[in-house]
Amino acid sequence: MATQKPQPSEVRTVAHAVNNGTAFEAECHDELLNLDSVLGISKFSLWYGKSRALYDVSMDIPRGKVTALIGPSGCGKSTLLRSVNRLNDLVPSVSTDGEMLLNGRSIYDPSIDVIALRKRVGMVFQKSNPFPMSIFENVVYPLRIAGERKKSVLRETCERALKAAAIWDEVKDRLNESALGLSGGQQQRLCIARAVAVEPEVLLMDEPCSALDPIATAKIEELIHEIAGRYTVLIVTHNMQQASRVSDYTAFMYLGRLVEYGSTSHIFQNPRLTETEQYVTGRFG
Amino acid sequence: MSTEVKPMQQLPPTPLQARGVGGTWATGLALVLCVAMIVGLLAMIFIGGAKTFWQKPLERVELLSGESVVGIEYRTEAQPDGTSRTLYRVGNRDLGQQPFRWISDSEVASTSIADNAILLDRQEWGIWIGVPERIYKLEDEATETVLASDTSEVWGVLQQQLDLAAKRRNETEHIRSGPIASINDKLEDLRLSDLNAHMNASREARPYRIGWAVWSVLAGLFVVFGIAATRINKPAVRRVLVILSALLLLAVYAERPWSKVPWSQERLQSHLAQTESKRAELAEEFNALNQQLAELEAEDAKYRIDVRDVTSGRLAPISRSLPNESMKLSQILRAVRPSDLGLGGKIELYFARWREFIWTNPREANTEGGVFPVIVGTLIVTLMLTVAVVPLGVLAALYMREYAKQGVVVSILRVAINNLAGVPSIVYGVFGLGFFCYGLGGVIDGGTDSAFMLKIGQWWVLVLVLAAMLFVTLTLAGKDSKNKKGWLAGGLWAATALLTVIAVFSTPYFEGFFRAKLIDGSPTFGTSGLLWASLTLALLTLPVVIVSAEEAIAAVPASLREGSYGCGASKWQTIQRVVLPGAMPGILTGAILAMARGAGEVAPLMIVGAVKLAPKLPVDGDFPYLHADRSFMHLGFHIFDLAFKSPDSEAARGFVWTTTLLLVTLVVLMNLVAIRIRSKLKAKFQSGQF
Repeated sequence: MATQKPQPSEVRTVAHAVNNGTAFEAECHDELLNLDSVLGISKFSLWYGKSRALYDVSMDIPRGKVTALIGPSGCGKSTLLRSVNRLNDLVPSVSTDGEMLLNGRSIYDPSIDVIALRKRVGMVFQKSNPFPMSIFENVVYPLRIAGERKKSVLRETCERALKAAAIWDEVKDRLNESALGLSGGQQQRLCIARAVAVEPEVLLMDEPCSALDPIATAKIEELIHEIAGRYTVLIVTHNMQQASRVSDYTAFMYLGRLVEYGSTSHIFQNPRLTETEQYVTGRFG
Repeated sequence: MSTEVKPMQQLPPTPLQARGVGGTWATGLALVLCVAMIVGLLAMIFIGGAKTFWQKPLERVELLSGESVVGIEYRTEAQPDGTSRTLYRVGNRDLGQQPFRWISDSEVASTSIADNAILLDRQEWGIWIGVPERIYKLEDEATETVLASDTSEVWGVLQQQLDLAAKRRNETEHIRSGPIASINDKLEDLRLSDLNAHMNASREARPYRIGWAVWSVLAGLFVVFGIAATRINKPAVRRVLVILSALLLLAVYAERPWSKVPWSQERLQSHLAQTESKRAELAEEFNALNQQLAELEAEDAKYRIDVRDVTSGRLAPISRSLPNESMKLSQILRAVRPSDLGLGGKIELYFARWREFIWTNPREANTEGGVFPVIVGTLIVTLMLTVAVVPLGVLAALYMREYAKQGVVVSILRVAINNLAGVPSIVYGVFGLGFFCYGLGGVIDGGTDSAFMLKIGQWWVLVLVLAAMLFVTLTLAGKDSKNKKGWLAGGLWAATALLTVIAVFSTPYFEGFFRAKLIDGSPTFGTSGLLWASLTLALLTLPVVIVSAEEAIAAVPASLREGSYGCGASKWQTIQRVVLPGAMPGILTGAILAMARGAGEVAPLMIVGAVKLAPKLPVDGDFPYLHADRSFMHLGFHIFDLAFKSPDSEAARGFVWTTTLLLVTLVVLMNLVAIRIRSKLKAKFQSGQF
């Protein structure tokens, strides 16, 4: 179906590349050129056993900004996200190729300590997953496992992280109660507090609002706005309104490839490639 | 085109089998039967157990033959010829009669309540039923002071005299079980120490051993390597150094020059002289105590009571061999006059008997007294088996769920474990006797079995091979876990573990911890006992624990694990802080099942440790407080013993019920405690979300 807008190049579609077996070059907008990047991904591919999930993804994540990964189900957004803290290592038979640099240090270097890496990268999951412990213990969990014992440090961190996650006022009087007594939205903000407790270099969010009601979602989005600047956020979302509301930059992925990457306004208002346009306007995906 | 609408027709009725009425009935009936059987079982145990200690009246039966019998009516049964007969408990076994007597109804002239007869619970020979005549004090051989001489007067004096007699009895009992028992223990220790000394003196000098010089060099090398291992950071070098220093430590310890040197005659003699002087001291102490005891007993023997048996007209004797001397007051534990008892008195007596049953030791081949040591034995063996089985089972389940590759091997293992739960328990008993008691226990007692023992040179070769294998295994384990040689690493682990076991059981250095006692003919751990019984039961319940722990671990949501890894936790930290707490309620369920199964198990216990009468409790105030080598009593075995091995099965009948009731109550109580802990944990760790 044709549109009246100036037609982007027909050849530059992922579908075309897949059908013809050719390489696909992602369309990266100019505003990305001179940014200070915290995470550099270059030519990154990933296989689950024999099936390939990511094809030569290259992108730079700008420091202190919110970057959204959008795309239809199964396009590899979550896989890419989970590759940043090597959570995919837990799946047997995963193999990777290419490079990922976190502040200039390779993530997939064989000599790197995965555990130390995960401490530098916080992660918030689709389904809130507070541990079966008190609220306090949940927030200071990353410190505990790092061996921190000082009460004062733990208490300070807990307060700072809970304030950063905008949940301090709601839970400050019941820090010693079970975290499982919180509502869904509160639990998710608690998980964000847990993720930011150790001041991560990058905060990964894997569809953090998909299991929440609209009010809780609004609160989380507000929170993401607030913490942007202090933390670099990489967020996977299915919800395009959400991506346009919370993110500074947006990357569209399709069939395991990065298709188009640019500032959020550009991607949503004048995408350069057909597939991006079709996806953001809701015509496929 | 419109299709023609057919008129509504009368549908044929749904066939009966399609309605499933029969199915409803069958399932309902099955459930009712099950519930009825369980409720019936429990009700039977409860009623049987509850009525045992209720005091029934003493009846006086006048027979047509002119004989009078006083006894407690037990039960009546119909005879094939249409008449019926009644069983009376008549006691007075020391007269040479059966304590229970069947009386045909056709023999009876009249039956009445025996007003003046009393019932005496005695320390020996069971109960005595008779009419009290007098209480007196033997001042000396010839003079008696009568304290009471009329049946009603006797009854009044009896109660207060019994209190005094109980005091005297307790006093002698305290001396016997306190200082005298401790002297006996010390004498036994001295005897063992002499045996050890003799063993050391008759020891042959070892054919070859390293001198002090070589030994010092080895010790020095150990220190050097040990320090080097802490300083050097290269993993491979460090591993070599750690293994080498462990080897050196083993050599330095095994070949210490001062060990196992034969004692000289002088040393032996001086040791023997020392123990002899200690023995003399103890003997003196013992004599003094014995003197005291004799005085107390002489005083005690002065207080006597005449209670006449109604049928034979004879008095209750002091013992069966002295039938003409009257019974001592202190032989009576409790005197009851059922005709005097009101409802309150009966209830009081009832609970007093329960108290006695629970808190005292058994007497008279377990048919009298209480079951205190039996309860203690049951509790301890159950606790020990739980303590042994839960950590082992949970660790095994953790490996299977968290570490092992989920493949064919693990599946086979899982099936095998499930099948183990179905092995008859007696098989575990036989295994426990062979492996734990005679195998492990034998080694602990007497050292390495000569059939397996290697020569010193051979053994060191084995240890060196083991060290090399350990090095290779550790090196492989340190590599990336995804390498293709996983099976090689696994096989090496298994081989190393096997070799370690072989090395431990073939060492020429180990002589056993209780060798002297074993040579003397009394094995310590090399026979059935508490430890081996607990371990056998642990093995028996292991499948239950592994299966439930595995299920509980698998039920911990993957999102929690990911969350933990995402925070930078290692696998072990995740297991420790997230998986185990989350799985704890399920693990406890397994522990409860194991406890319940273990507490009720009898067959293996008969083979590996439960006895009819244990002379000592497995726990007491003497170091090391828990005596895992002792034999013990167990409620399940006690029931069997009372029911089938008792010399007086009729007298034991009531005790079978009460003991069964106690066992059921104990298991229920232990389960309730565990369930309470579990629900507390559940409230802490889980919410409606999971």
